[in-house]
Amino acid sequence: MRSFTGTDAFPGIEGNTSDGETLDRASLKQQFESILAAHGPALSRLAASYTNTLSDRDDLLQEIVFAIWQALPRFRGESSERTFAFRIAHNRAITHLSRARQQRVDPLEEIELYDPAPGPESDYSQRQKTENLRSAVRGLPVAYRQVITLTLEGLGYKEISGVLGISESNVGARLTRARQLLQDAMEKRK
Amino acid sequence: MSTDLELEAWREQWQAPVEEPIPAELRRKVERQSRLMKIGLVCDALVTLVIGGGSTAWAVMSRDPGMALVAVASWLFLAAAWMFVIVANRGIWEPTAVDAATFLDLSVRRCQAALTGVWFAATLFVAEIVFGLSWAYLHMEGRPPIARWLLFGSVRIDIVWLCTIVFFAALVWYRSRKRRELAQLLNLSAEITPKSM
Repeated sequence: MRSFTGTDAFPGIEGNTSDGETLDRASLKQQFESILAAHGPALSRLAASYTNTLSDRDDLLQEIVFAIWQALPRFRGESSERTFAFRIAHNRAITHLSRARQQRVDPLEEIELYDPAPGPESDYSQRQKTENLRSAVRGLPVAYRQVITLTLEGLGYKEISGVLGISESNVGARLTRARQLLQDAMEKRK
Repeated sequence: MSTDLELEAWREQWQAPVEEPIPAELRRKVERQSRLMKIGLVCDALVTLVIGGGSTAWAVMSRDPGMALVAVASWLFLAAAWMFVIVANRGIWEPTAVDAATFLDLSVRRCQAALTGVWFAATLFVAEIVFGLSWAYLHMEGRPPIARWLLFGSVRIDIVWLCTIVFFAALVWYRSRKRRELAQLLNLSAEITPKSM
């Protein structure tokens, strides 16, 4: 997986600027890096839940990270950084999803190489459980997938409501249904 | 499991760092097989068009009841072949997840389908040969004794037997190769799958 620990991936972030702007830039860059450090893995999991292949996941993740960088100057702290990052991520994911539906890719063409090193028993079992859960989540309708992925990332109703722009009661209703669907899907995979 | 414990368990699984180790050779094999299956499907469609369409066109143009019988039989053989392709390949066109266990399971099932396909191909070939030779014999003028016709009838009959020998030799070779492959896959499966599972 690509890592986004800095702004190097985005040319143009470091430009010719005045001293004041340079200070702003430095502070933005610091904030950007702190967001990625805190939420990078969660954003990667979120990207994975909207894509079928590893390279697609990385592409979506890059789009999300770039969108966060672009939106950061307009972020005034009305919500937490996590809500801000997830809101952007979900918007990018929906755009990606609608584009992907127009041009479906054969997953086999995109599978990446890994070392043939099987892990110990517990690793295998854990991998299977995690993969089952992720596949089941990927199979949920988008409205439920959004709520369940955010819940699994540890967000509460209020934060989810802020990310998705829906009421808290709507979050609760969607989450209940999402859990039922997920339980059914997991049961089928046993 | 209570729902909150369940959610907590899912949360742990969801956030667990996971790598999907797929042996490179296995991945390449599955990719190659998937491509070959798609090519095979196109070839099957072409064979259907050529044999089915050809025999039908011939029957229509010749207005011969004997040729109509050949056309009907051709479509029956083709339908049987398509039924087998659809049933045998159900669920094995592509992996459902990107992990070693899924790829391995898919390879094993493809191998088993190929081995079943060997028996189907042999049966279908025999049925076609029996039909073809019977039809040719019954539509002959001044029929010789059947045994002599079958063994020394003509160069065309000799070619049929030669093709039969080559076809069955190829089937035997293919079957032994697939059996070896299946054994290797099952060994690999036993290696990477914990005994408790």
